[in-house]
Amino acid sequence: MAWIVKNSAGMKIPRRAEPYLTAALKEQLTREILPRYEQKRGALLPTLHAVQHEWGWLPWQALEEVGAFLDVNPAEVWDTASFYEEFWLQPKGAHVVAVCRSIACEVCDHASITAACKSKLGIEVGQTTDDGKFTLVELECLGLCEGAPACLVDETMHLNATPESITKAIDEARSTQGGHH
Amino acid sequence: MSPTASWTAKTTYPVLTRRIPCWPHGNPKDRHTVWLDEYLRPPANTGAGTLGGYESLRKTITTMTPDEVVEHVKKAVLRGRGGAGFPAGMKWSFLPKPDANGDGGQRYLAINADESEPASFKDRLLMDFDPHSVLEGIAIACYACRIQTAYFYIRGEYHHQAKVMEKAIRECYERGIFGKQGLLQGTRTKNRDQAWGLDVHLHRGAGAYICGEETGLLESIEGKRGWPRNKPPFPAIKGLFARPTIINNVETLAHVPSIMEMGWEWFSKQGCDSTFAGAPASWGTKLMGVSGHVNRPGVYECDLGIPLRVLIESKDYCNGMRNGKKFKGAIAGGISMGVLGPDQMDAEMDFDIGRKYNVLGLGTACPTVFDEDTDMVAVARNIARFYKHESCGQCTPCREGSGWLYQLLTRIESGAAKTKDLDLALEIATSMGTMPGTTICGLADGNNWAVRTIMNKYPQEFEARVKRTFVPVGISVGAGAK
Repeated sequence: MAWIVKNSAGMKIPRRAEPYLTAALKEQLTREILPRYEQKRGALLPTLHAVQHEWGWLPWQALEEVGAFLDVNPAEVWDTASFYEEFWLQPKGAHVVAVCRSIACEVCDHASITAACKSKLGIEVGQTTDDGKFTLVELECLGLCEGAPACLVDETMHLNATPESITKAIDEARSTQGGHH
Repeated sequence: MSPTASWTAKTTYPVLTRRIPCWPHGNPKDRHTVWLDEYLRPPANTGAGTLGGYESLRKTITTMTPDEVVEHVKKAVLRGRGGAGFPAGMKWSFLPKPDANGDGGQRYLAINADESEPASFKDRLLMDFDPHSVLEGIAIACYACRIQTAYFYIRGEYHHQAKVMEKAIRECYERGIFGKQGLLQGTRTKNRDQAWGLDVHLHRGAGAYICGEETGLLESIEGKRGWPRNKPPFPAIKGLFARPTIINNVETLAHVPSIMEMGWEWFSKQGCDSTFAGAPASWGTKLMGVSGHVNRPGVYECDLGIPLRVLIESKDYCNGMRNGKKFKGAIAGGISMGVLGPDQMDAEMDFDIGRKYNVLGLGTACPTVFDEDTDMVAVARNIARFYKHESCGQCTPCREGSGWLYQLLTRIESGAAKTKDLDLALEIATSMGTMPGTTICGLADGNNWAVRTIMNKYPQEFEARVKRTFVPVGISVGAGAK
């Protein structure tokens, strides 16, 4: 629920010396993305995507840096980032397994896919494995309804998934480097 | 003879899917992404001239003025394929008139590829396999509306499709089809004999259903949360960055090149006319994505007006229900539209469906089919959960009502509910979002239509799940009453 915001009063922001929004990223964004938008703030979503792609998630410090880069108040960066489900405001695993739970997948037994993922990874939906390799989520419609039940492992679509095929896909993902989306 | 038995396809060749093999014209296994080099060659199996290849664009900009293009698309009654069915030409004509030197000032086109409606997946087919047909439509639309910047808003979950579109756009820049120098390497257009420059940018969303609502989409491009705006002002007057903006669906734009190439008369021979006097027609073909309990789920290109029964049972399309089960119902086209009941299998899939069959409308024309074993209470609960999850939280009736509905339906599904909970669920469903409008956008409408149609068309299933509420009469009255 995008509209439920946690109370952040008195929260401490962990900081580190080197920036998340690196000079190279800034240079690339200034060259390619900023000229596309009439107002600087238009580049906010692409910038957040770029930072998340680099680091896997969006730490508070990164949000502040993005705000400074685009002349947007950090609170407004948070306001936008927290609205969108795909922006990770806590660290996630190197790989994300996303099972579709919407109508076409539910009537085609998505529950067996989620169950297979849970037992394979030993975690519940919404959790990350202890080794930080996998995060399991259930998402609303992925737009792969003709191949229900469907899921995404990192950025790869898996249609007509079965408990066996998803177990195999997880094994394959484990042997590759993390896909930061 | 039933109307279904007498139905025959008017369009015997693929139009939108001419480069994408789809049953019955080709085997989906042969699909591949058509990049620019292949797109520039006329397709082999076309039944309707040499469509596309950016030749439709060339013909349009060299022989017609922008106003003539708008007039042409208006005559074709190209109704929006994104859900609402609003005629695209009409939408384009709402833009402010150009100033004295023929320019409209800064204005934008936003392409809605935020295909997040559960059960809808038709636009993905075009983006996956024939990105240039969409880009050609975008170029024509921008010329017609005097737009020089277009944003292709694609949902965050479509990682692969975003990469395909990005590469296709890059190809167009490299070959000079897009860019500041003007469309098609700076071809002189009939618009004051000048080249028409066009920039197309890809903008990725990040997993929010509400950004498919047109003003929510604009907010998202502006870098804000996707909260829909109050209308008026309509986007055609004041949209993206407060400039005049047109928002069109991917499939709508993919139709434009063939309409320009073949003429609106050709387009009007496909699809069907409205059976209501004065209502706009449902001309043209439509991508219909069927999912659920059928033998061959997938996207099919059909004339508008095809009965759902034909779509499900014909060997050309879905080839019958899975495991020979009986038909129990189908989502009309994206869950917001509501459900067609067991006796509505003959419903014609055209833009009149809402007035005839007690659903909200045609939507994206992507039915999810349910067989006799489907638990409709679970279906209603799933849909209610979706809306609870995706409500943006801006308007109270939707934010609170969607949560209450989900709780009630969960309780009904678990068997812990009482008869009065059914009435309560219906009351919530009918009092959020319905006319005269208690919410800004249509999300609450979608929620209440979906839940209401399921509860009204399958009442016995809901009643069987609840505990009877006995109302004691004549006892516990007076001083001894608790």
